[in-house]
Amino acid sequence: MRPAAALLCLALAPLLAAQNVTYERLVHALDEQQNWLTYWGDYSAVRHRNLKQITTANVKDLRLDWIFQTGQAGSFEAVPLVVDGVMYLTGGNGYAYALDARSGRQLWMYKHTFPPGRKGNGVNRGFAILGDSLFMVTPDAYVVALDARTGRLLWQTEMASFNNGQYTATLAPIVIKDKVIVGISGAELGIRGFIDAYDAATGKRVWRFWTVPAKGEPGGDTWLADSWKRGGGSTWMTGTYDPQLNTLYWGVGNPGPDLYGETRKGDNLYTCSLVALDPDSGKLKWYFQFTPHDTHDWDAAETPVLLNLKWKGRDRKLVVQANRNAFFYVLDRETGEFLMGKPFARQNWATELDAKGRPILMKNQEPSPEGSPICPGLAGAANFMAPSYNPETKLFYFAVREQCDVYYTNPPVYIEGRPYWGSVTRGVTEEPEWGLLKALDPLTGETKWDFRYFHAPWAGTVSTAGGLIFAGDADGYLMAFDARTGKNLWKLNTGSPIVNSPMTYMVNGRQYVTMPSGSAVLTFALPQ
Amino acid sequence: MRTAGVALLLLCSAALRGQSEMDLADGKATFRSNCAFCHGLTGGGGRGPALSSGRFLHGSADDDIKNVIKSGVPGTTMPAFEFEKDELDRLVMYVRTLSASSGKAASVGPVAGDVAKGRQVYERSGCAGCHRVGSEGSVFGPELTRIGAGRSAEYIRESIVNPSADVPEEYAGVTVVAKDGKRITGVRVNEDTFSVQLRDASQNFRMFQKDEVQQVIREAKSLMPVYSSLSHDDLQNLLAYLDSLRGDLSAGAGVKKERGIR
Repeated sequence: MRPAAALLCLALAPLLAAQNVTYERLVHALDEQQNWLTYWGDYSAVRHRNLKQITTANVKDLRLDWIFQTGQAGSFEAVPLVVDGVMYLTGGNGYAYALDARSGRQLWMYKHTFPPGRKGNGVNRGFAILGDSLFMVTPDAYVVALDARTGRLLWQTEMASFNNGQYTATLAPIVIKDKVIVGISGAELGIRGFIDAYDAATGKRVWRFWTVPAKGEPGGDTWLADSWKRGGGSTWMTGTYDPQLNTLYWGVGNPGPDLYGETRKGDNLYTCSLVALDPDSGKLKWYFQFTPHDTHDWDAAETPVLLNLKWKGRDRKLVVQANRNAFFYVLDRETGEFLMGKPFARQNWATELDAKGRPILMKNQEPSPEGSPICPGLAGAANFMAPSYNPETKLFYFAVREQCDVYYTNPPVYIEGRPYWGSVTRGVTEEPEWGLLKALDPLTGETKWDFRYFHAPWAGTVSTAGGLIFAGDADGYLMAFDARTGKNLWKLNTGSPIVNSPMTYMVNGRQYVTMPSGSAVLTFALPQ
Repeated sequence: MRTAGVALLLLCSAALRGQSEMDLADGKATFRSNCAFCHGLTGGGGRGPALSSGRFLHGSADDDIKNVIKSGVPGTTMPAFEFEKDELDRLVMYVRTLSASSGKAASVGPVAGDVAKGRQVYERSGCAGCHRVGSEGSVFGPELTRIGAGRSAEYIRESIVNPSADVPEEYAGVTVVAKDGKRITGVRVNEDTFSVQLRDASQNFRMFQKDEVQQVIREAKSLMPVYSSLSHDDLQNLLAYLDSLRGDLSAGAGVKKERGIR
């Protein structure tokens, strides 16, 4: 081969590779440290990359490399995929893009067509990829498949009847084998939640798991009368997956109406639970309920991170979650056995968890017509923003919201497409809010270090072998921290609250860090 | 009229009364979760004006009250609420009961006291050194141009004799301790994880990077001095003066939007 031809082949190599994201590649996503192949970066959601070009020593020189403006208003909550030099990204309001990951230049754009009469706005959190196909959901609850090479629509399937905006979808799908698995939003509007699997090739629905069992089904007796029909249980965040155990882990949302529990007495399974499913059939393997009969909107949508650790001298497959209810949980992910639960933020609702992980409630922790001051607040002590785990420091890094609310309650009336909350909350003014970036030992629940934010954050973390944790805060700072000490080493005011989680990738030997902020994608690198 | 007809009428009347009671309960629920935070659980006022006096500054017709709720009041902390029509109807129906049932409508008038003398107390006490009325005074503290319309007399009295009882977030006091030990106190204009911006008593912006100072302290108390030594008459006259301030705020102030949720 002549040198010119060899160069041409080399140049084409990334393009050819981009067309073949097999299931095997997804299973071994962590072997491709330069890429980011799933919403969480891999199936386990550790969000740690063995990239060490940017280090604690040189991060002070990190600078903005390129900006991509989507022009889309609203909260920018998507985490991009990066496959061999191409970045695939969803914006809000039904938009999606493919970009050159080195320059930010656009390769294609897709805009979802909203049928007449539908409000076409809403957040989105990103793509899943398999082969040549990308998968996303839309604010009007479609699952959409696009050709990754062109952005052309391949198929779209309506997950549930839109019903005046009652059903919406915001999450990034997860692909397992030949299936695209997605969840639904709308517990605030009186839906009955589910997790769906669709055939990646055709868009045909393969199975559905109802997160709220019907009367007569196992768990159906945890709902008063017919309350299960509008029982909520959204599945608005992406699950995680263990290929060896062939088990899918999914955090289920709160029951509805959110703040009024009288009409739905009982534990309200499987709301505020982690469910473990067989991804081939959608059958339930086990569940663990963090917050039985929740009346504070403390869903369990936070990331279920899969870790293999030595637990009390024995190698165990664990799933850990910093839950919205302010407790950090460790479960055995083969059996669902509760191993540990410890508070990581201010809370005044549970005295402790019993031996099986069930909370023992304090007095006056229920919302009331006059208002009850309760911690954590409605948004929880943790939320959708992603944590990360560094296998070298053996620490779990996540954003903590220290914020309390006054919870009101009143019986709601159900009207299709209207809020079905059962009242509302207000901030407790005497209790100023703040936030923490917390480094926690997942084996003990003890804090190794904290870095205090002025406001309660909405941004997650990513960890790198350069000894760094990247994180964002509610005032718009993208920041780099020393993973061992918590020292802030670098910061940049992006000019808009960050409601997202950073990610990192590498193209042509250069490491990049990306964080969407405002309506722009900001990508950083060291000077060349 | 035959008995059956009477029975039917009674039944209808009971049903109507039942419906009306349900509507009122709905309106009360909406009020408690959206309005009581500022106007008090029974509409007695607080950070927002009392709604139990039967006096409504922006007009007393149902539509006037609805307009204020839907559009907010520019330049004040009253936000614009997005309620459905029926929700708004029920809310206004309930707001009306706050004055009607208490029988206060007729009895509540202007605050007793001498407005002219109260103004002298205001000037003598140096209030204009921090507060602004119309085009006079400082922008350091809250503007008082329409304080009588925006706050209940009881709230104003408390703000004078015990200013720390309720400090609005936008007037929180902050003290920055510089590296050389010098202390700079002001009203917090903005603050984030790494920086803080104050307005000092000379009405100047003071801006700091937190890593360049020793400490940033949030003052637990209001920056306003306590005026508990005013004589009873002086305080009453001052209250009458402040209650009489019902002018327009500076133009251009925005309206905060809130999505009303029941």
